[in-house]
Amino acid sequence: MTIIIAILQAILLVAIAPLLSGITRKIRAKMHARTGTSIFQDYYDLAKLWKRCEVKEGGSSIVSRLAPPIFLGSFILLAAGLPLVMQACPVPILGDIITVLYLMALPRFMFALAAIDSAGSYTAIGGVRELLVGVLVEPSLILVLFVMAVAAGSTNVGVMALSVANLSAYPFVAVVVAGVACAMACYIEMGKLPFDLAEAEQEIQEGPLAAYSGPSLAMMKLGVSLKQLVVASLFVAIFVPFGAAATAAPLELLIGLAVYLGKVLVVFLIASVIENAVMRVRYKFLGRYTWFVVGIASLSLVFLVIGI
Amino acid sequence: MLELILLSLGFSCVAGVLSLVTSKAHAASKTIACVGGMGAAALSFIGGLGALFQAATYVSWAGPMPFTNFTLLLNPLAGLLIAVIAALAFVAWLYGLSYFDEYYETGIGVIGFFMNLFIASMNLVILADNAFWFLVFFELMSLTSYVLVIIDQTEKSLKGGFLYLIMAHIGFLMIALSFFAMASATGSLEFEAFRTHAFAPGIATLAFVLAFFGFGAKAGMVPFHSWLPQAHPAAPSNVSALMSGGMIKIGIFGICKVCFDLLGAAGGEIGWGVLVIIIGAVSSVLGVVYALGEHDLKSLLAYHSVENIGIILLGVGVGIYGWAAGLPWLAAIGLLAGLYHLVNHAMFKGLLFLGAGSVLHATGTRNMEVLGGLAKAMPVTAVCFLIGSLAISAIPPLNGFVSEWFTYQGLIGAAMDGDIFMRIVFAFAVVALAITGALAVTCFVKAFGVTFLARPRSEAAERAHEVPAPMKAAMVILTVACIALGLGAAWVAPVVSSIAGSMLATAALPVVEGVTLVSLDTVSVVSPLIMAVLMAVVIALCALARNAANQKAGVKSDPDTWACGYQADLSMETLASTVGANVKTFMGPLYAIRSGVNRAGEALSRLLGRALEPEGEKAPAAPAKPDAPISRYDRDRTVGIAPAEQHAPALSNSVLSVVSDLGAWFGRMEGGDFRTYIVYIVGALVFFLALIILVR
Repeated sequence: MTIIIAILQAILLVAIAPLLSGITRKIRAKMHARTGTSIFQDYYDLAKLWKRCEVKEGGSSIVSRLAPPIFLGSFILLAAGLPLVMQACPVPILGDIITVLYLMALPRFMFALAAIDSAGSYTAIGGVRELLVGVLVEPSLILVLFVMAVAAGSTNVGVMALSVANLSAYPFVAVVVAGVACAMACYIEMGKLPFDLAEAEQEIQEGPLAAYSGPSLAMMKLGVSLKQLVVASLFVAIFVPFGAAATAAPLELLIGLAVYLGKVLVVFLIASVIENAVMRVRYKFLGRYTWFVVGIASLSLVFLVIGI
Repeated sequence: MLELILLSLGFSCVAGVLSLVTSKAHAASKTIACVGGMGAAALSFIGGLGALFQAATYVSWAGPMPFTNFTLLLNPLAGLLIAVIAALAFVAWLYGLSYFDEYYETGIGVIGFFMNLFIASMNLVILADNAFWFLVFFELMSLTSYVLVIIDQTEKSLKGGFLYLIMAHIGFLMIALSFFAMASATGSLEFEAFRTHAFAPGIATLAFVLAFFGFGAKAGMVPFHSWLPQAHPAAPSNVSALMSGGMIKIGIFGICKVCFDLLGAAGGEIGWGVLVIIIGAVSSVLGVVYALGEHDLKSLLAYHSVENIGIILLGVGVGIYGWAAGLPWLAAIGLLAGLYHLVNHAMFKGLLFLGAGSVLHATGTRNMEVLGGLAKAMPVTAVCFLIGSLAISAIPPLNGFVSEWFTYQGLIGAAMDGDIFMRIVFAFAVVALAITGALAVTCFVKAFGVTFLARPRSEAAERAHEVPAPMKAAMVILTVACIALGLGAAWVAPVVSSIAGSMLATAALPVVEGVTLVSLDTVSVVSPLIMAVLMAVVIALCALARNAANQKAGVKSDPDTWACGYQADLSMETLASTVGANVKTFMGPLYAIRSGVNRAGEALSRLLGRALEPEGEKAPAAPAKPDAPISRYDRDRTVGIAPAEQHAPALSNSVLSVVSDLGAWFGRMEGGDFRTYIVYIVGALVFFLALIILVR
């Protein structure tokens, strides 16, 4: 039964990822006082790319061909495993935090390899920077998850969600502070300004993806949107599990679904407002921001060990 | 099972001697050494595996003196180590069938002899159950591997080998002191006497700390890591695989043996576990950070051994903590994680070193800056290296992921039960492990991407060819092992768990339900096998959809790279130093620690050196002429991070220069003749024997 929920949930996330990305674009346009494109623009883009002829670079190897399916596939798998409409993980073996974190490393690995494979300096720099953002976010993310694992008594995301939903996760303040730190870490991981390194300006436009075209590019773009949604969902699943279905009863699941959609929409709205209110900073100052997040995450650890 | 292993030792010795005798006939000597070695490895592999499922076998033969009783103990832990080393030895020999063709001129008989002896001595160290013989075989292992390190006789390998020899002996000294501390309390050099004696806490802690640092020096943990990236890469690649995959595990074995076995009756202290965990966490982060600064493929891999030893120590540290704190399930999961990672590291590090050897064989260089584009010329090597890279980066569902998963479960589970201080220690360890994981991904993207992808950046890389069949077979065997240890975790983990149970003298911790791995204390499950199936299905569906779309719209190939309007050329490709410089932007302080400590070390060694060295004695050495660059990318970049030799870390640096000054001082007494060295070794043995007799 839950495996069906998992499959449906993966399909749902893939289906709505471009919509959320389109909504984000619309908000940016509105904040720039432009009309902007339709919120469905991402679907149009993907459909058009899907029908285009693909151009392979002469120098690239099989890695470039393999990267798009692996990139998208990994995030689909992650989408299937998180407790979104239900409080428990629909597929428990995919719901361990360590599994989630390391499964997220695979697309990053392939993404950066494909960037190096294309033999252009812009793509490769974009790819390497993408990896380094991962390095910088990892300490705060793991620290937050560590705090949650100890507070909830399990490394399973579903159990964490359940303990937060029951308000049984102890100590309470540590969990709240961890939630703040996790939100910030997820914001960085979503690749929003000022951390949007993959899509820097002009010459590094669409940085690591510069060598892709046609259906492969469509797959990568879909993967990037899905990644944002999965990361946002990870935060929502652990720290805001309220309203998700406690059992697999159809009515509860429907409510859970509606609540989940509302929650990610709010997360995306907040993220895009922040994104458009901040300036872009130079890449080398990124570390300052991430250290700040590490600081907050450490604070939650302190609250955890002293038990408040 | 012990008989099989002893038979394999005999086999190794005979093959080694025969190979030395026939060394004039190069091909025959090589074949004898390799085939004999493979035979021996197969025997000891079966013996080691068999020992996993048996009760311990204990034999003892009386020696000429009371303390020289030749005692051997084959328990499941020893069986595991023997099986791991045998598996690596087998592929190393198989690889050598082709790879050693290049060593005809440097003395193939010598390699065959010493490598066989090296493998035999490793097995004997594992088996020995008497402090005297343990030390003798430990020394034999260091000396034989030293000869293999300096086989190339280049300046680099001699320097690396010298450093290795010194550090091995510093380690040896500490281990010997540890054993003597235990021997003086029990009045016997038999391990059996140590095992049954309840040492006073002070003696036990002294013995443990000495043994930990002594074996740690052998294992290459920080702060005794500096020799490893200089010594291991200097050896022939398959020997590097054996050293990095196998020999450094003897250090871990020693730590486990002293802690859980020899000091078993005394019981442990929580502080030991904390020490091991902190050193492990620091080793893992610094190992990978320094690996990122390398552009020599084999040095990079050697630094990753420092990192992985750190990860193994994290697992073992949780084991020690759990054991000392009276939490048997925690001890079991920690040891399970450590031992599982030990096996895994042997497989993927062996594989990666063999891959690096293939690159060296095909292009004649290990410098990543001048490589590139090898994936097209050497597809088998590329695929094997890629899988090894994914495994070492702990990407699910491969083997590295499984053992790191257990390590995390152990650390987090320990934190749930720990007090304030322990929670902070475990949080530190978890964060260190996470940073290590993320940096390892970066480092292997660099190692694989810069070497195998994009376009060739030198003539040597353009002319690369795929390696001969035996080398390919050796890599494929290890690749299959990496995949099997990952997907088959549900069948491997119970075995490793039973080894951990035998070390702790408790029932094995249940870690498997069906095909799922379970961690009871953290209420979590994972199944690499099911994940692999799911991943394969989802990724295949995505790939099929994309290919169908491609078929409809067509695919064109464009020979040029799109470089945003510029003319793309080779100078635009990413180099290893590009990645290194990027990492340095954020990890600058960690590199600054290294250079700061080095400066302190240099100052110290100058101070010591001045005390030892008469004024004006040394003539200034002529500056070495640098080798001609292979291509224009082959240069030391100030933007990147200078390679290891220029930053030889503090401890060893000061030791090294003191010893080299001492060496110059003693130089008048001996002419650098090998026979003199043998006299020294005999002298050292006599000295130690005399010491023991005096102590008794």
